[in-house]
Amino acid sequence: MNRDVLSHLPVAVEPLLELEAHPECGGLALFVGTVRDHHEGRSVRHLAYTAHEPLAAKIIREVEQATRERYGVPYVRIVHRLGDLSIGDIAIVCVVRAPHRAEAFDACRYAVDAVKHGAPIWKEEFYTDGSSAFVEGCCIRDDLDEQASRSHHHHSHTSHG
Amino acid sequence: MKQVVFELFANLERLAGQHECVIEVTDDVGTVGDALARLASARPELAGPLDRCACVSGDTIVRRADALPADGRIALLPPVAGG
Repeated sequence: MNRDVLSHLPVAVEPLLELEAHPECGGLALFVGTVRDHHEGRSVRHLAYTAHEPLAAKIIREVEQATRERYGVPYVRIVHRLGDLSIGDIAIVCVVRAPHRAEAFDACRYAVDAVKHGAPIWKEEFYTDGSSAFVEGCCIRDDLDEQASRSHHHHSHTSHG
Repeated sequence: MKQVVFELFANLERLAGQHECVIEVTDDVGTVGDALARLASARPELAGPLDRCACVSGDTIVRRADALPADGRIALLPPVAGG
């Protein structure tokens, strides 16, 4: 599958829904993450997403595949935006088509969380006071030793949609 | 002597002020972990964040104990925060 999962251009939601396909599906779950104007009490003016594109694309495709298998749903489609984004711009879209709503909702949440925690994509926020910072994220090393694990502070990002 | 090319991302790239960092290493540097140790001594300002970086060759995560990639290129990926 060569569908783009990373986009340097604004993302259009409608073409990702595949409403003309999947007649066996009665549920469509859609998550759209947009750029928020604040983060941890700071006022955000705009932000930039960068990625290690080869690995990010591979991991997002793996998440799509794993989600289809885990929830038994026929269609999972994820696109993550890269580049400079303004407040309100679409950062990530996840579409799941499923026979019923329960697995559609569950699969959609699982896929978005998996991308946020696993794909090498970074968010640099630019604040209204002129400063900027990379948002603290999730370590994706798979060979962290015990000592490194102890000093590893894992932050939940599930509410940072 | 041989060269190892580190590709830097996000805060690491900002810290180094460059996207790539090339270091000369002796031939006894055989693993990813060895190369990282040399990077930490050559560029101490980058040493702190290295522990929480994943190492990538091409589109594959490699471990500290793995052999140095044949092309001598390692991408260093700090903790991620997409979405």
